[in-house]
Amino acid sequence: MNKHNRSTVEPIVLTREFNAPRQLVFEAWTQVEHLKNWQFPQQGFSCHYVSADIRPGGSTLHKMTAPNGHEMWLLTKYEEVNPPASLVFRQYDSNEAGEILPNPHMPNWPKELRATVRLEEQDGKTHLEFVWQPVDPTEEQAKAFEAARAQLGGGWGGSFEQLAAYLETL
Amino acid sequence: MARAPTTFDPFNAIAEPKRRALIEVLAGREMTVNQIVQRVGWNQPTVSKHLGVLKQVGIVSERKEGRHRVYNVNAAQLKPIKEWVVQFEQFWNHSLDQLEDYLNELQSKGVQDE
Repeated sequence: MNKHNRSTVEPIVLTREFNAPRQLVFEAWTQVEHLKNWQFPQQGFSCHYVSADIRPGGSTLHKMTAPNGHEMWLLTKYEEVNPPASLVFRQYDSNEAGEILPNPHMPNWPKELRATVRLEEQDGKTHLEFVWQPVDPTEEQAKAFEAARAQLGGGWGGSFEQLAAYLETL
Repeated sequence: MARAPTTFDPFNAIAEPKRRALIEVLAGREMTVNQIVQRVGWNQPTVSKHLGVLKQVGIVSERKEGRHRVYNVNAAQLKPIKEWVVQFEQFWNHSLDQLEDYLNELQSKGVQDE
């Protein structure tokens, strides 16, 4: 494998199995009336879409509000929407106007990540594969991403959970 | 700020398991290098090397106390990492949990409606 070839960065992959038919899972990913009910990391958050045009070339802008009132805006640009099997999008931290915000703290983190969602149905259950991959990363960005993937794969482990718990107290 | 051959950002800095361990040891308390060495059981050059990287990105800060230097974690510099954790490790995993709950709820409603 050629390490200098930018396209060989291995993605971060999450997989899940849902006890639901594929069509429904796909709709949950592509219809705002569904998305607003689950696109947040935990109960107590609310999710509000101010615009949604979910088709290739389209985008959505939504806001997540944490229980403490902290707001986070996310811009999502859709590249592929293939019902009911897959969708591809890029997501960005943004402001309420949908302008993408840079992350000044992490210069080596890839500027853009592409997410691919693939759905396969088997015996009435749906297997989901969620793939994160940097878009045209520089060598340093690729390294940072590789490190992240290695940590996720090996697990940040119990030690990192403690760090996360500590961070929660900040 | 001095430019090092390798550009570290907070993320690179904590990608190394020993440095994460150091952050944990130092979280919420101040320690000298010797105290850290005793606590983690690595040799002093190893501890100093990793402390140096953490200092370079500002995650760890040092101050003089008498003849010693004491180190602690600079919490503000960890915030970008916290954001990273939220965004990549927790965000989608937890969102997929929400999706699972939501799908189950939808389908149980469907059964009741029939």
